[in-house]
Amino acid sequence: MSNNGNRWDPKKFKAGEIPDTSVTLTDSLNNKTGSWRSMKPVIEDKYAPCIKACPTNTLIPQYFDQLIRGNLDAAGWILLEHNPIPSVTGRVCPHPCELGCNRGRYDQPISIREIERFVGDHILDKKGIPPKVETGKRVAVVGSGPAGMSAAFYLRRRGHTVVVYEKEEKGGGVLRYGIPEYRLPKKIVDREFQALERMGVQFKYRTTVGKDVTVEQLLQEYDAVFLGHGAMKERHMGIPGEEHFLSGLEFLWEVNHGNLTPPGKKVAVIGGGNVAMDVARALLRLGAEPIVLYRRTEKEMPALKEEVERALEDGIEFRFLTQPVAARKENGKIILTCVKMQLGERDRSGRPRPVPVEGSEHDLEFDAVVAAIGEYVDTSFLPKEALDKDGWLVADRKTGRTPVKGLYAGGDAVLGPATVVEAVGMGRRAAEAIDAYLNGVEDYKPAPLPRTVSFKYIMTEYFPKAPRVEVPELPVEERIKDYFKEEVLGYDLDRAVKEALRCFSCGHCNSCGNCYVFCPDYAIKWVDDKPVVDYDYCKGCGICAQECPRGIITMEFERLF
Amino acid sequence: MAMRLALKGLGNRVMATIPACCWTIIDGAWPNHALKIPLMHTAFETAAIAASGIRAALDVKGEEDVTVMAWAGDGGTFDIGLQALSGAAERNENIIYVTYDNEAYMNTGIQRSSATPYGAWTTTTPVKHPESRPKKNIMEIMAAHRIPYAATATIAFPDDFVRKFRKAKDIVGMRFFHILSPCPPGWKIPSDMSVKVARMAVETKVFPLYEIEDGERVTINYWPEGRPVRDYLMMQGRFKHLTDEQIEHIQQFVDHQWKRLVHLHELTHGSLPEEAQATLTSR
Amino acid sequence: MKLLENSTYTVLKGNHAVSVGAKLARVEVISAYPITPQTTIVELLSEMVASGELRARFITVESEHSAMAGCIGASLAGARAFTATSAQGLALMHEMLHWAAGARAPIVMANVNRAMAPPWSIWTEQTDSLSQRDTGWMQIYNESNQEALDSVILAYKVAEQVRVPAMIVLDAFILSHTSEPVEVYPQEVVDAYLPPYENPNALNLEHPHAIGSLADPNVYMEFRYKLQKAHEEALRVFKEEGQRFKEYFGRAYDTLEAFYLDDADYVLVTAGSMTSTAKYTVAQLREKGEKVGILKIRLFRPFPFEDVRNALRGRKKVAVIDRNISFGHSGIFYSEIKSALYRDSGAPPVFGYIAGLGGRDVRPNDIVEIYEDLKQREEPAEPILWKGVRV
Repeated sequence: MSNNGNRWDPKKFKAGEIPDTSVTLTDSLNNKTGSWRSMKPVIEDKYAPCIKACPTNTLIPQYFDQLIRGNLDAAGWILLEHNPIPSVTGRVCPHPCELGCNRGRYDQPISIREIERFVGDHILDKKGIPPKVETGKRVAVVGSGPAGMSAAFYLRRRGHTVVVYEKEEKGGGVLRYGIPEYRLPKKIVDREFQALERMGVQFKYRTTVGKDVTVEQLLQEYDAVFLGHGAMKERHMGIPGEEHFLSGLEFLWEVNHGNLTPPGKKVAVIGGGNVAMDVARALLRLGAEPIVLYRRTEKEMPALKEEVERALEDGIEFRFLTQPVAARKENGKIILTCVKMQLGERDRSGRPRPVPVEGSEHDLEFDAVVAAIGEYVDTSFLPKEALDKDGWLVADRKTGRTPVKGLYAGGDAVLGPATVVEAVGMGRRAAEAIDAYLNGVEDYKPAPLPRTVSFKYIMTEYFPKAPRVEVPELPVEERIKDYFKEEVLGYDLDRAVKEALRCFSCGHCNSCGNCYVFCPDYAIKWVDDKPVVDYDYCKGCGICAQECPRGIITMEFERLF
Repeated sequence: MAMRLALKGLGNRVMATIPACCWTIIDGAWPNHALKIPLMHTAFETAAIAASGIRAALDVKGEEDVTVMAWAGDGGTFDIGLQALSGAAERNENIIYVTYDNEAYMNTGIQRSSATPYGAWTTTTPVKHPESRPKKNIMEIMAAHRIPYAATATIAFPDDFVRKFRKAKDIVGMRFFHILSPCPPGWKIPSDMSVKVARMAVETKVFPLYEIEDGERVTINYWPEGRPVRDYLMMQGRFKHLTDEQIEHIQQFVDHQWKRLVHLHELTHGSLPEEAQATLTSR
Repeated sequence: MKLLENSTYTVLKGNHAVSVGAKLARVEVISAYPITPQTTIVELLSEMVASGELRARFITVESEHSAMAGCIGASLAGARAFTATSAQGLALMHEMLHWAAGARAPIVMANVNRAMAPPWSIWTEQTDSLSQRDTGWMQIYNESNQEALDSVILAYKVAEQVRVPAMIVLDAFILSHTSEPVEVYPQEVVDAYLPPYENPNALNLEHPHAIGSLADPNVYMEFRYKLQKAHEEALRVFKEEGQRFKEYFGRAYDTLEAFYLDDADYVLVTAGSMTSTAKYTVAQLREKGEKVGILKIRLFRPFPFEDVRNALRGRKKVAVIDRNISFGHSGIFYSEIKSALYRDSGAPPVFGYIAGLGGRDVRPNDIVEIYEDLKQREEPAEPILWKGVRV
């Protein structure tokens, strides 16, 4: 026989020659089963709900993925695509992302902010690289708070010349002069500004727009102007004797300028917002005995829940349903006349309206009173064309564009008192709009966001329940003694990775390989560590789409035309 | 799918034999051969002995490092191949025997086998008189031969699957795998649900993941939170006709079997892991 | 061949002659199940394996079906495989006999002819092996213990060249348990004659392929054609190797064996041990001047049509003595011989005798009576002439 004495080798068979029994000659790849298909899987990254919930739209699962793979720098750069100051937001952000987190519906949401802080700190001194190409276009940024920093960062990245106008002697706005040290150390703010300086952003400190230079002048001098001057005016309560009060912002400004003497021992803090909490907690750390007066109950407080909790942990006294109606000064003390309130019907904000209880007036005696009932935007220096009939600055939320050509705005200046992260998001979006404007794009519209993967597309079977990784913090006894000690210590690498591993990675393929493992037909190929459908062999069974734990694979009808 | 996981666990020095079953077709008609390992097709009832024969040849030729695997369906294992399987097990042949169990004769058009579970519809157990006997407990039969290793696995738990094959690869002697392998047409499920159904079989304790070493030492590998069997049954058209009483009957059967298994685990290990208690009470 | 001087002459039972033949052929895997009267074949082999005299694996399977399946696995994995069985066991193997041939696994098996039950019988009859004639196996019928031993070696030599399995057949008790002097060849001579087994189709890891995969109607027939061609080739190789056998071992074998045939007018056709009785009888008839001879069928599959025609052409009459029966038809050798002679111009009339079923002795007298009967028989021949049936 022709091939006796040798081992079987398909190459020995000529075309058309048949072996003595049905000994196979080839693999089955010539059978292209893809033609049997009526549905086809499409592999495509989508948005996680946390991305959607974050005002900056940071690609959270994407940078987590890099963190888990040990590529810390890559993780940092992905983070910086949408948020230039993660070290800041990683400390002070109210983390709406965590509210959006799908895992919150399963056990507990991911500690996104703590991971952000870890990655942000990792990249903090590495970022700040000057652009490769200078465009020669000049943009003025008014205010160096989060909105201004964000706009400056992304404009400079695109090669524009950026000059930031700041009335204070140092940059940061609310970050430097509002938020207390124990929440956001000034060293972090300093390093953020060093990064901006490394990029080549120019700063004009102690220069107040509206006084030293007008907006109109800036508009003439620069190709575009971004307003990010914030909401730094304290509201008045409109009650008699108010002139004896300090404002919350004033107090924090003083403290952040190094005036660490509290205005008195027993201090009333009026208000239930974040500023009120910062004031009360700062006072405590400076040796005073703050008492928070708030006209509704704990539930209605606009401050972040965790800030309220921390204040309670600190041992700060709260008097709820208490509304000061008048104040007078007697023997160096301030006597506050308060009424008890009760909750009535809901008002426009959706919260129950506080209604005074008749005959409940009572006097309370304090060494000082700090009122922190809200801030508003100063628009007095702005061109009239940029304001509406009520005197509010008009600006598009998605682009920051105002009715004045070349004038853009973002952050609290547009939103009223809001959050750092919203300011960062608006700053970035405005920078993108300004960049388009400088490139001559007339009708710039930001790209729509991709589809979001909702909880029902998450295959929770793949995720054993696991609680959040604990965040190391200073013990309460220790933290209330020292205004300068940062109270949250943050994750180290191990904890950050461990927590990131809890992430479902909604909508982002993290190369888990499920589709590859479960494809009955070897029709998922693995290319550069990612799955790719081989449509020659995919029969469209749909198992990959069913078993993708994170909603990346969707089945679509195979179209004939 | 299961074959891929198995081969992932076993590496590439593997020879296989496959009796009459779906895989007779899947591997491809002449001249095609889908698998990347040498494969001998053999008669329906001979998987275990054909593998033994290959093993003997390799041993004589000094190729002891090559793993020999028999890969058979439930019919070829629970029914017609049981005699040869028992023989190979009793002789403690140094082979791996895998049964991928889809709980009926699927290749021939869904006729009942002794692996068909109670209550299931097949073409020979129609809805009017569905399967009246529980599935044959092949694991206990194999354990009774005191073979070194027997394990259950399913594609829905690929890590467990691959781990067990890796473990089995290094054991000398008869190794047996019982793999639950859903068949979309036979179980009347959409094809994309097959992994989900297999997972649900484990989660409902209908198909526990466990190992039996030396025929005696029982280790449960996965402690399901324990969902009602109804969740598993109602995913599949073949159980759609079941009444509440029948479902309850199945539930009781499953609970009882699980308790036995947990008891054996406890006997083996002296104690139960923390998560075990919940599995005994919850449904 | 000089080395043959080192042969040992010993007295062996037929079954042990087979075992020794297998040992000399250096079988590597034995997969067998006990059945009377085959048992002593595998018992001896088992001892040889246990003592290390034979380097092989012995699989003590749980049935004959598995015995054959194990041989197929071993053979296709590249080992020389051997088994032995009988009657019911052979019938149980039936499926796997087809498989072995279809997979072209050159296994050699010894079948000790035993009558099929019921009624239970452990005594000789050829119906068991002849029932397997369409499975694609070669079949070699043996008259003596020496022939049985030689056939094992020869069978491997032929089977492995054409990759067709071969069955060597011997009668229960009359050969299997009867001692005769047998020449046992030196191993070196057998090694020189029979090279190590190689099967190009065997499973191998370098070029992983599947054996026995599904063949659709477009290709199935071609594989059957190939198997038939292999049998045709086997016939040629068998004759060639039978002659070469003499160069090594001093004995030549052919598809048939002639005894007093040259000038015989009357021919008795036999197979198996009955031939010896017939030879003894014919020798005496010759002394009386009767022109009678014997044609012994050694190779039943592939069937030596040409040799049979040449051997019987021009004879006056032929009697085929069958120790077997195909119910509803006739003796099996009888019908095969007739088909070989069909339309041959010199074909003699052929008469079929059924004798010795279930181990009943066929004695010299019986042969004489058959011969006498043959001489006076006129055509047309009856399909079956029963010899010695008591009804």
